[in-house]
Order: sequence, then structure tokens, then C-alpha cells
Amino acid sequence: MAQFLEQIINGLVLGGIYALIAVGYTMVYGIIQLINFAHGEIFMFGAYFAFLCVTTFGLSFWVALPLSMGMCALMGMLIDFVAYRPLRDAPRLSALITAIGMSLVLQNLARLIWGARWRKFPADATPTLLTGNAIPLPGGAQVSFLDVFIILLAVGLMIGLNRLIHLTKIGKAMRACAQNRIAASLMGIDTNRVITVTFAIGSALGAVAGVMVGLREVTEPAMGYYKGVAAFAAAVLGGIGNITGAMLGGVVLGVAEALGAGYISSEYRLAIAYIIMILVIIFRPSGLLGKSTATRA
Amino acid sequence: MKKSRAFSTVLSVICAVAFFTILSFTLTSCETRNEIKIAVAGPFTGPVAAFGEMIKRGAQLKAKEINAAGGVNGKTLTLVFEDDTGKDKEASLVAERIASNRQILAVVGHFNSSCTLAGKPIYKRAGIVELSPGSTNVRVCVGSDWTFRNLYRDDFQGAFVARYIKNVLGDIQKIAIFFDNDDYGRGLKDGFTSVAEDLGLEIIAAEAYDRDNTDFKAQLTSIKAKNPDLIFLSGLYSQAGLIVSQAREAGITAQLFGADGVDSPDFLTIAGDAAEGTYVSTPFVFELGGPEAQRMAVAFEEMHEVAPDTWAALTYDAVGMIIEAIEKGGENRTAIRDHLASINSPEKGYNGITGLTYFDENGDCTKPAYVKIVKDGQFVPAEGQMLSTE
Repeated sequence: MAQFLEQIINGLVLGGIYALIAVGYTMVYGIIQLINFAHGEIFMFGAYFAFLCVTTFGLSFWVALPLSMGMCALMGMLIDFVAYRPLRDAPRLSALITAIGMSLVLQNLARLIWGARWRKFPADATPTLLTGNAIPLPGGAQVSFLDVFIILLAVGLMIGLNRLIHLTKIGKAMRACAQNRIAASLMGIDTNRVITVTFAIGSALGAVAGVMVGLREVTEPAMGYYKGVAAFAAAVLGGIGNITGAMLGGVVLGVAEALGAGYISSEYRLAIAYIIMILVIIFRPSGLLGKSTATRA
Repeated sequence: MKKSRAFSTVLSVICAVAFFTILSFTLTSCETRNEIKIAVAGPFTGPVAAFGEMIKRGAQLKAKEINAAGGVNGKTLTLVFEDDTGKDKEASLVAERIASNRQILAVVGHFNSSCTLAGKPIYKRAGIVELSPGSTNVRVCVGSDWTFRNLYRDDFQGAFVARYIKNVLGDIQKIAIFFDNDDYGRGLKDGFTSVAEDLGLEIIAAEAYDRDNTDFKAQLTSIKAKNPDLIFLSGLYSQAGLIVSQAREAGITAQLFGADGVDSPDFLTIAGDAAEGTYVSTPFVFELGGPEAQRMAVAFEEMHEVAPDTWAALTYDAVGMIIEAIEKGGENRTAIRDHLASINSPEKGYNGITGLTYFDENGDCTKPAYVKIVKDGQFVPAEGQMLSTE
């Protein structure tokens, strides 16, 4: 029982990280129907930015986290401006290929700048709050402070994002653009600004996920690819374009991966998660919460 | 008419360029007769680059010393570094490139067992020696007269670790294994498991992982529920470092024991404080080496400003062996192989800083294993050693 509880927590942590990345994929797709493959690399740069802030510049972790979010938000906007905006009215495939190219460029850029060596977040730069002892749970299970922090942070940011989308003016504009970009611009919404903000928010959330993975696991140039693919699968599982769906998809995929690795076989951990995704897609082609694609002409 | 004249002008220019290119090629190959080229192949970039860096530095030190002492038969020794990134596919490409360059007389490498195995058929076909300073998989030298290594095999290492746990550590009953799903990790796990079971140790779990895994919490949670006394890490330092730190985070208090793949200074930086008390088996320990090893360690630190590790030492010796083969055998690929193959008894052995090296009919060699332990963030020789080559 204790083991099951711990595996669920492992899954929730992984799920929270996937969800933070997946909303970045899904928000951009919702508005410009582009699968932004470079998003995984922004996540990776987020981890590196925080790592550099605490090691090279000796900043506190609590400064490094928002700084990394800010830098990734800028990077996301820049990528949109340089690579995607010129292709806004081009066929969708051109933008998709550009996104794949962007992903490769950024991954190799990181390898060029920082090398392929794995970087572990230095223990003395990790806030004591997060290295604290394990919290005991009923039944002899335990959970580390870092894992609790990641779950709480992910939940908090998701609620915040949800409120932003539903209660603010820019959120309303984003929803309008997602429904129909041309109609929204006819109603006086500056769609380019909305797209820029979307990239910034998605990238900042991806940066948070990157910093968390850097803290819990390791920072390396290929991390964006592996976690990015899983998070993309989570976005598809939840119904691409649907933000709540991406959150749900991330959690389902994370828990499936942890339970699969814990109880079935660690060699097939991703295979098990993807089989679940494929089964969902077979029975609900538009994902768990996705709209039927027929409504979109 | 005009067109055809233009055409003939172009043609003659091409001919002239081609002629001078060939001429300059012949000239350079005449010049290079004054140097001896050997290749050093290893993971200089990629996820296990910490090994490659040490291999490169060890080879550079040996080459510097040889050239300072007058070179090889009066010629300058030049090292050609080829990066296999630790992946077998890349290693095949590198091997093709080395084998087709007739100026290269021998290869020191590769490091990862999968890479040495990938290069083996290519080097065999081309007839060029491949001397590995790091591959321990049982099959590495089998089936090719051109592949050698200057350290033990994994069946020996696996049995050694199992006996060490039983005889020196004592008090250990239940063992869990984490293994890298490649030639090295799987081979070592098999060698360890069979002997450990014969000795009455109980293997309660064997978890495989791939080179791109960085999250081991789920496997560790299920291993924790089985409450092992010891976790054996049959993989490379990078994942081992993460497994060790995540195991301690998950509240696992079992003894941790890694094999030589974990023996790298980078293991200490990745695992951090969690590395404390981890045992590691290894083919060489500087502290237990002779005065030559101490001298090399000082020279290495002077040249590279870091302390050498096990792999730098083994590479240093491997380059030395190839050079001795060139001096005593001859300056061609076949003579080097014949000389290495003739080193088949302790009397004829090469006495390097890592001990006496001599080969059996496969090209394998018999060398002892040592045990290190992490103490105050450093690898130090463990108190109990078990020095036998049986």
C-alpha cells in the first residue's frame, strides 16, 4: 500500500512536469494550429538558465527561477518573431518544418555552448526548504519536500493559468483567437500581440518545468527532446488545443509511466504510457477533452 | 566553334588543377614519412564524455613524453583523435574512417564495449590493431586477431564483485541490480548474477534502463519495497550518479556498489553527497600503483591541471604498448599485431603503470581488480582488497 501511494506520487510529480510543458504545446496549437516542436528546447534552456544563474552568477534559487522564466518567455517570443511570424499565412506544413528545424538548431546550440556533459544542480545552491527530510505519510510511505513542492507549484500555476484565461482581458482575447483568428482580428483584437503573449506564457511555464527537472534529475542538451515528446503526447492525449485537457493528459501519462515502470517493467515505461495514449486516441480521436474536429473547417 | 574553344579551356584548367592536386598529395605523403600516426578513438563528446576527456589527456601525456624523448624510431608521434560519442553506430563510421587512412598504424580504443564490438569487424577486415583501454564485455576480443585490451573481462569483474560482497562486506543477503541495457551493462549483470547466486546471495530485482533515462524514482520505489541490503550498479557513471542521489532521496539506506563504469570523477559531481560510502570496483588505483604511477600522476596534473583517473592511466599504457610494438615489431599494421600477439606470457609482458599486461590467445589479459570507496567526496582505496587474478 505504501509502495502504491509512493508510486502515485512519483506519477503525479512526473505528470505535473508533463502538464507544465504540455500547456505550452496546446496553447500555441489552439491559436495558430502549429505544433511548436522547439518548445521542448525552450524547456531545456529554462533548466540551463537557472543552472547558470546559480552557478556562474551565484544568485539565489528564488531569483533564478523567475529570471529563467523571464528569459524563456523572451526566447519564446523571439522564436515566434523570427521563425513563425513570417510564415503565418504560408501553408501549415512550412511552419511545421520550420519548427522542427528550430528544435534541432536550439538543441545543437546548447550542445555547442555548454557541451553534452550532464550538469547536476549544486546541492549548496538548492534551497534548504527543498532538500529537507522526507515527509512521512500514513502506511509507512514517505515523500520528499521537492516532490511536494513540484506538485504544489504545478497545481498553483495551472490554477493561475486557468484564471488568467477565463478572467482577464488578454485571456478573453486568447479564447477569441482560438475560436476564429480572422473574426477576432475583425473585432479589433491585435492577434499578433495575442500570439506573442501566448508564446511568452507557454515558454515561461516550460521554463518552470525545466528548472524542476534540473533540480530533481539532471540538466543536459537532449532533455528537451525526451521530455518534450512525452509532453506532446500528453497534449494529444488530452485533446490538442484544450488547456484543461493538456493538464489532465500530463497527469494521466505521468501516473501511467510511474505505475508501468514500478509494477510491470522499467524497460517498457514509455511504451506503456504510449499504449494508453494510443488506446484513448482510437476510441476518442480528438483526445480526452478535445472538441470534435469536424466543427473546424 | 567559340563554344568548343571555351570548353577546351575549361577542360585544360581542370586537368591542371587535378595534376597539381595529385602532385601535392604525393608531396605531403612524402613529408609525413617523418611522423608516426596512431588513432585514439573514444567518447570525446556525448553523454559519457567525462571518460573521453580523460582518455584524450592520458594519450596526450604519453605522446608528449615519447616525443620529448626523441620520438618513435626518431620520428614524431602524432595522435589522431576520433570521436565515437559512446554510440555503436558512430563507432562504425569512425572505424571505417580510421581503417581507410593508410597512414594510421594502429588504434587505441574504443572505450564503450558496444563501440569496440562495432569497430571489430571493420578493423579485422582492414588489418589494423584495435587496443581498448576500457571495454570489458566478455565477447570484445573473441573472433578477431586484431582486437586486444589491457584490462580484465566482465565475467572476472562480476565474479570479483560477488566474492567481494560475500567475503569482505559480509552481512549482505538481498541484492537489487540496476543495469544499463547495452553490451557492457547486460554482460556485467550476467557475470555478477551467476556467481552471486552460486555464493548464496539472493538477487531480488534486476531493473534495466536506457542511456536516456534520467528519472529512476518509480523503479527505486518498487525496489525499496523489497528492502535490499545492497544495490549493484551495472552501468555508467552518469545514470549511476542519478540512481544514487535519487535512491537516497527516496529513503533507501542500502549499501551501493558500482563497477568500473561508475569509476569517474563525474560520478562524484552528479551524485553529490549521496555518493558517500559507495563502493566501486576498478582495474586500477593510483594509490596502490608503483612509483611510475605516482610520477605519471604528477606529470599529468602538471600538464592538464586535474588529477588523472583510471582510464587516463590505462590509455597511457595502451599508447605505450603500441609504440613499443612499433619500435620492436616494425612500422606497419601487421608487424604491430604480430608483436602484440607475441606478448603471451608474464615474462614477455609489458610493464606499464597499471601493472603487467600480457595477452591470451583471444587478446584478453589477466589483471587484478581493486575496490575504491567514496570518502569525504573523494575516491580512496577501500580498506579490504582482494588481489587475485583467479
